[in-house]
Amino acid sequence: MTPTAAEETLDVFGPDSMLRSLVNEARWGLAVARATVLEAAYPQIGAALIGNSTFVTYPWRRLRNTLTSTQRLLDPDQHVRNREATRLNRLHARIAGSDPQGRRYDAADAEARAWVVATLFESSVTMYRLGGESLDRTATDRLYAEFRTVLALLEGNSDHLPPTVREFWPYFDDIVHHRLENTEAVRVILFRLFANVPAPPLLRNSPAVWAASRAVAGPMAAAITIASLPEPLCRRLALPDVPGARALMHGAYLGAAWASRLLPNDWVSVESFMSLLDPDHSREAGPWQGVRRKAGQAAALFRLVTPAPDEDDPVTYSADRFFAEVLDQTGDGHIAWPDLAAMAREIATRLDLDEPDEERLFNAYAAWWRELQAGLDSDGDGRVTRQEYAAASTSLPSAGLIKVADVLFDVTDVDDDQAIDAQEYQKLFRRAFHRDLTGTADTYSRSAFVRQFLSFMSGQQHSTAYSSLLT
Amino acid sequence: MPRHVACVMDGNGRWAAQRSLPRTAGHEAAETAVIDVIEAARSAGVTWLSLYAFSTENWRRPAGEVDILMRLVRRAIRKHAPALHARGVRCRFLGMSDPRIPSRLVQDITDLMTLTSDNRQMTLTVAFDHGGRRDIVQAARSLIRTATPAEQVTEATFAQHLPYPDTPDVDLVIRTSGEQRISNFMLWQVAYAEWVFPQVLWPDFRATHLWECLDAYRRRQRRFGDVRRPTTTTGEES
Repeated sequence: MTPTAAEETLDVFGPDSMLRSLVNEARWGLAVARATVLEAAYPQIGAALIGNSTFVTYPWRRLRNTLTSTQRLLDPDQHVRNREATRLNRLHARIAGSDPQGRRYDAADAEARAWVVATLFESSVTMYRLGGESLDRTATDRLYAEFRTVLALLEGNSDHLPPTVREFWPYFDDIVHHRLENTEAVRVILFRLFANVPAPPLLRNSPAVWAASRAVAGPMAAAITIASLPEPLCRRLALPDVPGARALMHGAYLGAAWASRLLPNDWVSVESFMSLLDPDHSREAGPWQGVRRKAGQAAALFRLVTPAPDEDDPVTYSADRFFAEVLDQTGDGHIAWPDLAAMAREIATRLDLDEPDEERLFNAYAAWWRELQAGLDSDGDGRVTRQEYAAASTSLPSAGLIKVADVLFDVTDVDDDQAIDAQEYQKLFRRAFHRDLTGTADTYSRSAFVRQFLSFMSGQQHSTAYSSLLT
Repeated sequence: MPRHVACVMDGNGRWAAQRSLPRTAGHEAAETAVIDVIEAARSAGVTWLSLYAFSTENWRRPAGEVDILMRLVRRAIRKHAPALHARGVRCRFLGMSDPRIPSRLVQDITDLMTLTSDNRQMTLTVAFDHGGRRDIVQAARSLIRTATPAEQVTEATFAQHLPYPDTPDVDLVIRTSGEQRISNFMLWQVAYAEWVFPQVLWPDFRATHLWECLDAYRRRQRRFGDVRRPTTTTGEES
């Protein structure tokens, strides 16, 4: 990647970057949801999402990774930005294939990536418009320039996006009218994801509360998103137009705009919302800390006074649950390379690995996959079904899996002292040493680490630490 | 009035044997005593109460007994959590590191600790899967990990590495059933504790017995090793 002229200046987005403040606002989530639908309707992106992405199975994890990644891309420090851009490019370079109709897709495709940036820009402008504060000409131009800079950061140039806002609208309308399709990914997002979002980490222990709120919030989120999409697209995709949906959508956007204007800044920041949803994410005491503490106590009381579930102890995952929650990362009902790649991707993202380490990790996973395919795929259809995995799990662990554990140990053991100390552990699992560490020592030796990883991956022993990493 | 009272709840098995009941019936009967003592200690003005519920050595008991004990603890926690919370008791569990503790019990214990974490009336520490030596070894480890120079290690700095370092020294230990042993209980914290050994078995232990023990404590002179004069009289002025 050759640095463009813009990139050589230290902070390309400037100290008062619109984009940087935008991504820190929680309401940008509305725009991102809308943009995701527009992206998914682009046939190539839709196919890539369906084939590889874990967003249906682990939307919260995906959300957090996306957020971190965006913030890194907008970091004032040039090295952080470039590093993240390189990482994303590496990550996307691994995603390619063909959809069920046999059309090729490739996540590194320049036109598709330009469209992603375009949808985010258009959705941000729409978010302002629907919030009752339309951007003036200069502000729109500036925002557009910043989005083009993001594309340039990823691609090396921004040639696939029109140079000015004036030329952008015809480009956008043209794609909406002629390129977008009713892809499977669109249907999955609108009708499956919103209705079946798994509980955010905070509510994972109170499934009843989550199911009740989701039953209301899921359809509402879908209706809001649909109502905010461009009219011609809704027509072409034959999306349902529910009465009242437009009013609801306007209410949501207006409410979000008012909230971000009237409430204290740190209440409506993305960080606060993320820490509210996911206690592991919180970095310091935020404004929601007190609320979350009280909510945690209320939830604890609720669990204590509701009738106790039976005593049988889930030390071992049921094979089905293990398959669905850990192995089948893309949620399509069988294991294939994208599932294992998603695990490797998650680990690489979390540990922020350099290229050689990332390469090693992916190679180890690839070797394991070849082994699984050779050994377990009895009907030779290129994927391993639940039954095939279950039938063979007694003969596991295989050499390939041991290799994965070995490499995982190496890349986690940053200081190469052949032991994983509390800090390294924290980085991998985002939690302190706790009950999982039953040995007498307070560090993990290689053999203990490998043993625990193997017993987790073969579904023999439940581990909250690994569950937090891979589910 | 002692600030920190600890009870070694001994005699459940003998209580059951005297009545030709299975040992577990003794554990079941112990629940009433526990609740009675918590309430009596709280209203008497004791601000720290510790109960020795299960030691690291207790895992050697028959698996069936351990299993039932775990169920009893879980049932008791679920039953009394709201009342404990309403009375402003902060609950903590000391020990709790063995993977054999059922995960649902761990969940309930965590919930109880979360629920009551802001209470300040009294702190109830339940030593569960606890061993006094293990705590000291853990503290030593944590001290070494912080790379503290040897000459800076004092009793005070060492104590900072023990679990729940805000726990004050134990003033009075009550061991029921007449047995006179320490049994690896909060070894560091009981260094200067007064001990009383009432004959009553734990399931029969009630508020009145606790008052007798508190009274016995008041009549003792605590010298903390000095011979010339009592450093603290626990006598009538308190």
